[in-house]
Amino acid sequence: MNLMQNPELLDRLASSYALGTLRGGARRRFEAMAREQAPVRAAALIWQSRLASLNELQPQAQPSNAVWTRIDNLVQGEKTSAAQHAVREQAQSEAHQSAKPLAGMAAWLRNLTVWRTASAAGALATVVAITVGSGMRQELGTEIARLQTQLQAAPQIQYVAVLADDKSAASMLVTFDAKAQKLTLQRVGSYHEASDRSLQLWALPPAGGPKSLGVLGADKLLRLTANESAVREVPTLAISLEPKGGVPSETGPTGPVLFKGALIQKML
Amino acid sequence: MPVDNGGMSIENHDALLIVLIDRIARQDDAAFKALYDQCATKLYGLALRVVTHRELAEDVLQEAFMTIWRNAADYRASLSPPMAWLGLIVRSRGLDLLRRRAAERTHLTDELDDTLADTLDANSPTPLDTAQASEQAWALHQCLGQLENKQREVVSLAYVRDLSHSELAQQLRLPLGTVKTWIRRGLDQLRMCMARFA
Repeated sequence: MNLMQNPELLDRLASSYALGTLRGGARRRFEAMAREQAPVRAAALIWQSRLASLNELQPQAQPSNAVWTRIDNLVQGEKTSAAQHAVREQAQSEAHQSAKPLAGMAAWLRNLTVWRTASAAGALATVVAITVGSGMRQELGTEIARLQTQLQAAPQIQYVAVLADDKSAASMLVTFDAKAQKLTLQRVGSYHEASDRSLQLWALPPAGGPKSLGVLGADKLLRLTANESAVREVPTLAISLEPKGGVPSETGPTGPVLFKGALIQKML
Repeated sequence: MPVDNGGMSIENHDALLIVLIDRIARQDDAAFKALYDQCATKLYGLALRVVTHRELAEDVLQEAFMTIWRNAADYRASLSPPMAWLGLIVRSRGLDLLRRRAAERTHLTDELDDTLADTLDANSPTPLDTAQASEQAWALHQCLGQLENKQREVVSLAYVRDLSHSELAQQLRLPLGTVKTWIRRGLDQLRMCMARFA
């Protein structure tokens, strides 16, 4: 069939194709002709683009605010891991350049997933030390020490928790960097405590009462120091509303628990 | 033809969205938030029309915005007006979700039937926010305005939910012949009308 001699039929088929109601064998024949004949392809594309405007002609509706919070959390998470990845890439490429005689070895190491963890720097040191002659050893040792410092400077987030209120709206993002013993809290919701109150962060271990991890200031981003032993194997974190300045850990929370969430150990 | 609405013409609004999408391609999260504020109600309305449930539509909106965040650099190559590109992403994420749920053998079809029956009762013409619509959407809106309400609804649903004649007939509880006639007449009228805007 030569559709080019029948422009009206071409237009009709192209519009049904773009609407999606051209189905089965008729659809496959039309697709085959479109692949071979540019004017058929063009007619299909014109109708696809015309009918795509139907997407813009639907009634509007208001999504709940939690949707943006979820999207924003995902985006911030991607940005953080991209930044960490970049630091590691840089560390790897510098290791590669400084160890030219070992180019094959370096490429092999780069492919190892273990290289992604800080302990891999130690493993590299061992492998390199037994591979190279003593003349090179000193130079490489300096390089490895520098690399280890660099890897240690890049945060290795090991624990993450999203604390949410009773409506499941995320309000606080908590990350714990075990190596630096730093807890980082980021407020993501719109909650603000009254000026005579403070929010207090608690670890809820499987056995024993809640343990205070610290009292939050008014900043959007805040850092607390904590031992890994206080965080390790804690399934849940919670935030309670307390009198200004918080309460002693042994008292336990005295006010309502506003936000809580599971603490997840993240493998790098 | 620019349609003016509170000082923001189609060209200006498109230009704003294009700038935002370009900045998102450079991982600018402030631009991302601005794009969300500009388009969320429109795109959520579309997601809701595809999947018909508020919570599912919110999942679709979230997936669509993550697609936009990761693929903004592809926008320019699409040669599309920005709202058309964004709308295609939302529809496609919505259809993905419907397919996944159909594969899970949920009772979605039953629920769809009820919602669709309501949809067809609505007698309102297709809405158009002239400040946000692309010029092409404006032309299509003019042409759709010439169709009977039910014809317009069936054409619109066929496209937005990617339904065949028989799926439409089944979900709308209409005879297959009626659906085929409405679609054919609707498309014929659209073809004649859109030719004037080509």
